[in-house]
Amino acid sequence: MTSDLNITDLQLKYLELETLLDITNDLNSFEDIQVLIQEILVKSCGLLNANSGLILVEDSNSDILHIEANFNLDISILRGILFKKNRGVLKEIINSRKALSINIKNDLYFSKTLCKFGLIAPLFDKNSLAGAIVLFDKESRKGIESFSDSDSNMLSALAAQASIAYTNIKLIKNIKEAKTFNENVMQSIATGVFTTNLMGEINHINKTALNIINQEREQIIGNHYEYIFDSNQHINRLISKCEQDSITISESQVNLQCNEKITTVNISVSPLMSDFEMPIGTVVAMEDLSSINKLKSTFKKYVSTQIVDQLLENDELLNLGGQEQNATILFSDIRGFTSLSENMKPSEVVETLNDYFNQMIEIIFKYNGILDKIIGDELMVIYGVPNSNENDSENAVRTAIEMQEKLIEFNLERFLYQKKPIKVGIGINRGSVISGNIGSSHQMDFTVIGDSVNLASRLCSHAQPGEIIISDNVWKDLINQNFFISKKLKPIKVKGKEKPIIIKEILYDKWKFNYDFVFIKLEDYLLKNLSENYTYHSIDHFRDVVYQVERIAKKEKIKKDLINDIKLAAWLHDIGYIWSPYQHEKISANYAEILLKSLKYPESKIKMIKGMILATQLPQKPKNILEEIICDADLDYLGRSDYTEISDKLRMELELDTKITDLKWLRIQENFLKSHRYFTTTSQKQRTKNKHKQLKKIESKLKSM
Amino acid sequence: MNDFITNIKEINSVIIIQTNGYLNNVGGEAIAEIIKDKMEQGCVKFLINMKETKIVNSIGVSILIEIIEKLQEVDGKLGYFNLAPIVEKTFNIMGLTKYSTIFESEEIALNEF
Repeated sequence: MTSDLNITDLQLKYLELETLLDITNDLNSFEDIQVLIQEILVKSCGLLNANSGLILVEDSNSDILHIEANFNLDISILRGILFKKNRGVLKEIINSRKALSINIKNDLYFSKTLCKFGLIAPLFDKNSLAGAIVLFDKESRKGIESFSDSDSNMLSALAAQASIAYTNIKLIKNIKEAKTFNENVMQSIATGVFTTNLMGEINHINKTALNIINQEREQIIGNHYEYIFDSNQHINRLISKCEQDSITISESQVNLQCNEKITTVNISVSPLMSDFEMPIGTVVAMEDLSSINKLKSTFKKYVSTQIVDQLLENDELLNLGGQEQNATILFSDIRGFTSLSENMKPSEVVETLNDYFNQMIEIIFKYNGILDKIIGDELMVIYGVPNSNENDSENAVRTAIEMQEKLIEFNLERFLYQKKPIKVGIGINRGSVISGNIGSSHQMDFTVIGDSVNLASRLCSHAQPGEIIISDNVWKDLINQNFFISKKLKPIKVKGKEKPIIIKEILYDKWKFNYDFVFIKLEDYLLKNLSENYTYHSIDHFRDVVYQVERIAKKEKIKKDLINDIKLAAWLHDIGYIWSPYQHEKISANYAEILLKSLKYPESKIKMIKGMILATQLPQKPKNILEEIICDADLDYLGRSDYTEISDKLRMELELDTKITDLKWLRIQENFLKSHRYFTTTSQKQRTKNKHKQLKKIESKLKSM
Repeated sequence: MNDFITNIKEINSVIIIQTNGYLNNVGGEAIAEIIKDKMEQGCVKFLINMKETKIVNSIGVSILIEIIEKLQEVDGKLGYFNLAPIVEKTFNIMGLTKYSTIFESEEIALNEF
């Protein structure tokens, strides 16, 4: 070996110093403790020719250290060993405060390793042992040897540098954690919070505040509050006043307009103070009241607006517990809904119930009822809680009557769609109940319990479809009994009650065929269900025929009640087009029969309506004046000035099947106009002349072709 | 091949040895053994890919010096590439670069070797 190729002691010392300098420089560039620890270990091993090593680090809040990093060492053999600060070499390095050699063979902690020699140096965090660097087996070309005093000094120096870096990183980590914690708290609170500095610039803002201000964080941070709240001078004044006077200012129900979004907030502006009690800015807290409003609207699904406001104004009403008081309880139940729903799809059942409940609940709220429960198809409604009113029973009875009346309209809609009607029985009772929020603190139900509630439910069960059954208590509680018509019923025996219960039926105007109402519903039904493809048989055709039948009928001196019947036939005469254009008169007549029977329309008149519908079938063969009127009304346009416009719509509709040439269309029109005749004197007088003019025009066109 | 030597390949009569881990006594001996075997087969040019060797000690370096000595006797060469900064610095301080060459990459090493 030449002398050039020897590693000199000088080179080794140079390497030690360079490495120590490197480590010192590097240590402050790490932010992650784990990365730092690993780097210290690896460099220490390399520098001191250690075969392997590990670093122990303290567990937080305990006297035990754990292995945080290892290099070239199988640490599984050390599993289960408790590295306690106050025992063995760990205790020794606390006292010595420098690196010490370890007698591995007899060492409390490291005897299980296959190593022969060890060197350990303490890592201090202030004066407390934060960890230790342990190196094993110094390598040489001759094999393994013990660490020298020089190695010990070097490791002590390295450990001292590492301790400073370790303490710094730990401090930074703690500060970051505290900052993150504070930010997380700030971000997660439901109150909008932002802070301004002495310059008036917004330097912190949480998510809720961003939502309220309706801007991105980047648009807000660093900008003066006056710029951000340019459209809200009132807010600027509050913050400015807080800055000047160093006092907390609060205002409620402040409207904040940000980017076209208006939010009502309760606002509080407080001075932000330093540790030395010097103002360093402001902290602004904004409570978004829209969430309260949302709660209010959710709550309003169950009770009327009036009750919601009462409850929100009086917190005590929301407390758990109960009080005994008199209340009126209404139960309603759909009769035979189970069998009715058997033939319905689940989605249809839900749709029907939602539709039904929506209409019923609207009435319940109108009369200040509290919707206590919806159990399947049953509704339980309370009147008189939390605050009683002298009108409670009257409100309940009025609710029941209006519910039944509303159902008539509801069922008409169902009849139009050839669905079975929904009928309900209603029972109402008044008596003593325990009312309050019943349940756990997690879920409270405002409800009433007691015998009176049970009796109301039984009266409901007793009621036949369409009936309203009330107890004698309800009747006696009605202030204006003469407003209602009642029918005394046979007292009923109820389980648990010795005496029979005196009951009455409240009578109301049950269904009476109302032409105008039916016309509106029919028009609406046609509008919703007629295909847009039918350019001729559109709603305009129905409206035209209805208008013309009335006009012709009046001229023909037809009685007023019969005019309504012809109008009814006119609304129904082509309704079959909803299902098919073929044989639509028959379909229309069948539909009319089913619908009109459901609507309790007189049987004798149903036949007349059907006759009018069928009479419109081409060629028209009316058998009486009513049929003549509808036939003429149906083709009234043949003798009108808008003939061309309407016949074009008819051609378009006919072309849905096959294309019609111009020549063919003229021939169709010619034949139709020639074969057609008006039946009523009115139409003959008013339309025949014009119809012939149309025919002449068509004939001349045909000649020119 | 032990855990420290992960690959040996020959390109244009240059043996390229890939290492992994601590270039210490054990690692150095592993390299020395491979090079000895290859020298017996007539190979004289060796490159070490040190991409996966992040730390080296003076014993590892002294073994490399012994290898260089032996190679000098047969006009052979030793070179390295993909060195971590700390390893490169150690090689420089230990005077290794006077007798062997550090390359930036395998391609450059093969071109200049």
